[in-house]
Amino acid sequence: MSVHAQVWHLRVIALARASPTGAVGLAIMLGFALVALLAPLIAPYDPVKPFTDHVLVEPDARFLLGTDGNGMDVLSRTLHGARYAYGIAIPVLLFGFLIGVPIGLYAGFRGGWFDEITLRVMDALRVFPSIILALAIVSATGQSLANVVLVIGMLDVPVFARLVRAEVLALRSSGFVEAAINAGNPTWRIVLVHLFPNCIRGAMAQMPIRMAWAVRVSATLAFIGVGIQAPTPEWGAMIRQGAEYMVSGEWWVAIVPGFALVILIIGFSMFGDGLEELLDPRRNTSSR
Amino acid sequence: MIPAETPQAADTAMSLLRVRDLQVHFVARDRYDRVRVARALNGVDLDVERGEIYGLVGETGAGKSLTAHAIMGLLREPARRVGGSIEFDGRELTAIGDDELNAMRGDRIAMVVQSPRTSLDPLTRVGEQIARIHRVHRKTSADEARARALTMMQAVGIPDPKARMQAWPHQFSGGMAQRVLIAMALVNDPQLLIADEPSTGLDVTVQAQILDLLKSSVKERQLAALLITHDLGVVAQVCDRVGVMFAGVVIESGPVEQVFTQPRHPYTRHLIGSSPDRLTLGRGAVRAGAAPDLYNLPPGCPYQTRCPHAQPVCQGELMRLPPGGAHGARCHFPEIGQ
Amino acid sequence: MLAIVQLILRRLMLALPILFGVLLFTFMLVRLGDSDPVGMLAGPTASEAEIAAIRATYKLDQPLLAQFLEYARRVAHGDLGTSWLSNRPVLTELLQRLPATLELVLVGSALGGFLGVWSGMRAARSVNGRFDQLSRLLSLFGFGMPTIFLGLALIFVFFFVLRWAPPPMGRIDLMITAPPVITGSYLVDALLARDLEAAWSAAGRMVLPCSVVAIVFAAPMLKQTRAIALDVRASDYVRYARTAGLPHPMIERIVWRNSAVPIITYGATELTALFGAASVLELIFSWGGVSQFGLTAILKADFAVVQGYVLMMSAIAMLVFALSDLLVLKLEPRAHEAGR
Repeated sequence: MSVHAQVWHLRVIALARASPTGAVGLAIMLGFALVALLAPLIAPYDPVKPFTDHVLVEPDARFLLGTDGNGMDVLSRTLHGARYAYGIAIPVLLFGFLIGVPIGLYAGFRGGWFDEITLRVMDALRVFPSIILALAIVSATGQSLANVVLVIGMLDVPVFARLVRAEVLALRSSGFVEAAINAGNPTWRIVLVHLFPNCIRGAMAQMPIRMAWAVRVSATLAFIGVGIQAPTPEWGAMIRQGAEYMVSGEWWVAIVPGFALVILIIGFSMFGDGLEELLDPRRNTSSR
Repeated sequence: MIPAETPQAADTAMSLLRVRDLQVHFVARDRYDRVRVARALNGVDLDVERGEIYGLVGETGAGKSLTAHAIMGLLREPARRVGGSIEFDGRELTAIGDDELNAMRGDRIAMVVQSPRTSLDPLTRVGEQIARIHRVHRKTSADEARARALTMMQAVGIPDPKARMQAWPHQFSGGMAQRVLIAMALVNDPQLLIADEPSTGLDVTVQAQILDLLKSSVKERQLAALLITHDLGVVAQVCDRVGVMFAGVVIESGPVEQVFTQPRHPYTRHLIGSSPDRLTLGRGAVRAGAAPDLYNLPPGCPYQTRCPHAQPVCQGELMRLPPGGAHGARCHFPEIGQ
Repeated sequence: MLAIVQLILRRLMLALPILFGVLLFTFMLVRLGDSDPVGMLAGPTASEAEIAAIRATYKLDQPLLAQFLEYARRVAHGDLGTSWLSNRPVLTELLQRLPATLELVLVGSALGGFLGVWSGMRAARSVNGRFDQLSRLLSLFGFGMPTIFLGLALIFVFFFVLRWAPPPMGRIDLMITAPPVITGSYLVDALLARDLEAAWSAAGRMVLPCSVVAIVFAAPMLKQTRAIALDVRASDYVRYARTAGLPHPMIERIVWRNSAVPIITYGATELTALFGAASVLELIFSWGGVSQFGLTAILKADFAVVQGYVLMMSAIAMLVFALSDLLVLKLEPRAHEAGR
């Protein structure tokens, strides 16, 4: 191994030791991402191909995780479900981040009526339970994947905006910004070079949590029956179908995708926890 | 005149507080799981008598506050006392359990700290905060405690004390809050008062008032007082004796006038020489060289890496300070530079 | 006294724009899609005459502003429209089912809240100790846990496998008559009517869904309580209390009281989110609350109900925030200063 690689090797190990939770979370995230990318290659069967002679088959040698009510292989469908999970989480995150952060920066920096209005709007949005909000909007505007992404993404915007705005305000009161202004920096430079890098830390630490939330909400929407529908191999839709079989004993139809969903969400949470630990080591100390 | 509860027997034969060779280490694991030891206190010696104010000065990180916390038994992981003795009124504090020490804190040894406004419980009225310290240690009734609190508030010079008893901490200014802290420290007639930067952060005029209050309280009641500060001006104004700390060692000690006019340690000389009128350390001080690396201190004298007069003998064991509070320095060459 | 009244009035005034925003949003809800709002309100089975009637009643051929004012006026009078599925007023339908939802969420959150806050405080007291690490691990599992999975998993384990829990079908055994309605909660009403069989059945059916709610609420409360308590424990005033020799129980009380306000504020936010999570549970357990009704209405495109449902949930959220604000006002002397 070259010296360069060895140094990186040590750094990775050091980070993993500093935050084992974060490391495990990252491993889970990457694992699922890999599955999402390679699903068409590693899945044993076509996820939407119904084996009409093998409906609701228990997990056995042929169908490792059983088949569902339509005779489709649960394992293949679950593997493909990772594509939908990431396929929704990443655009949602980008949407929320790319729109929320600039809004937060501008509102915090400029203040004035723009800030007032964004504050009021974000406050108003806070009042709605987000799942219900998402449901209502998606059902009103037509049920498609794009809509789901759009709506959940929009719900992410206030989170990032509020976070960044708070950081900007903190920086402003610390005199940091005043010094930059007095030094003659134009607005765009202050925002880009001075504010952005400092506010970004908080926003980035939020990312894994937002992704977990996006995955959870989209699965819940599909479960209720809004947005994505069967036979699409999305975990929420699969759980919806499997729910009716829970009481009659064919547990694998709902539990397998449910498990995948939970593990991915826990992975995101662990990674988010790990990031927090690294960024704020004070977290685990006490005066005692 | 601050009323005492019971007259104290005056025993001036022995120092009230005797610290000998106090050593404190910070033990932690770094990112790569290696054990790292910072030697924060390396043999601190000091004596404080009844009725005298002993000033402890040093730059930031010299170990002044740490010494105070060690005396009170308030060291928390990763700080550990690894050696030395702390004798208070004849008793060895290092041998006493935490429960007994806790009973002494706020009763026989009291502390006044920096940032008084944040040191008060935001959700309890000020009068009650003073009263509960009294109630806890003396087991009095609520009424008696309240009466005592009122007396203390009058004694420290808080205007309209009856009304102010019911006030909340956030309604007090810095100076007033510090008076409250002093009242809290004196409410149980302590024998030793430790003041850790009591006037720092207050307005200049208020600083003088607080220091005067402290001085008069100590003299009237014959308390022993340890005053920690980075401000040589404060020491000159209020203290009887002074100890200069560097890298966890009191490198020079003695009566204030002698130490300031005829410093014997190169470090003391450097400090006093570098800021003649506003004698301040730490904040505005000029440092010759970097701050001492507590993880890698040299053997013997901790100042040798910065000292212009260092010799090989400086790596040997340092002598102790002279007994009886006389002026002395822990240096092999105290006369150089006079 | 006057100061408190002034503060309350100021809070109310701040709430007005939010109320306005909420109304505006629910108003726009049926106008978001391409379709004519009339179709959404009248339903697919409406006749020509019915459609015309609706158009007239809600002034749908007039400009948008007039429509909104009409909508606001009706809401103020308690007229939330009519469900085209059941032909009954929306408000009546919602109010009838509200106690079930409240029962589920309040009981679950009370359990979860106690568990989470107590564990969080305890974890902060013994930082990095075994209890702390264990509870952080558990909290990690609960945080972000999708209720759809947890609900179904618990049904599988406790109903199907262990046969301990009753079937997840409603709030009471289908064979038992429900008690006469006083509070709307089957358990409470059964106890009031001294109907022990019904009470037992109702209690049994509450176990699983309330457990899910409790777990989902406890996890974030634990995490946040722990963080808050750690902050308080590291504060100047706690450190000073130690130097004053105050006994441990007294210091713990100081820590608790200073942690309470931030915990309450956070808890209010989590509670409003909890209503959303619990809505899915109502579907899974056929709970018969407003959320099951509202979510079903979404699927069946009964938009008058959807509007009313969103409005009601927002009203509940605003009520929760208002109550927590009032509580904070009572506990926090610093909040009485102007400009807060």
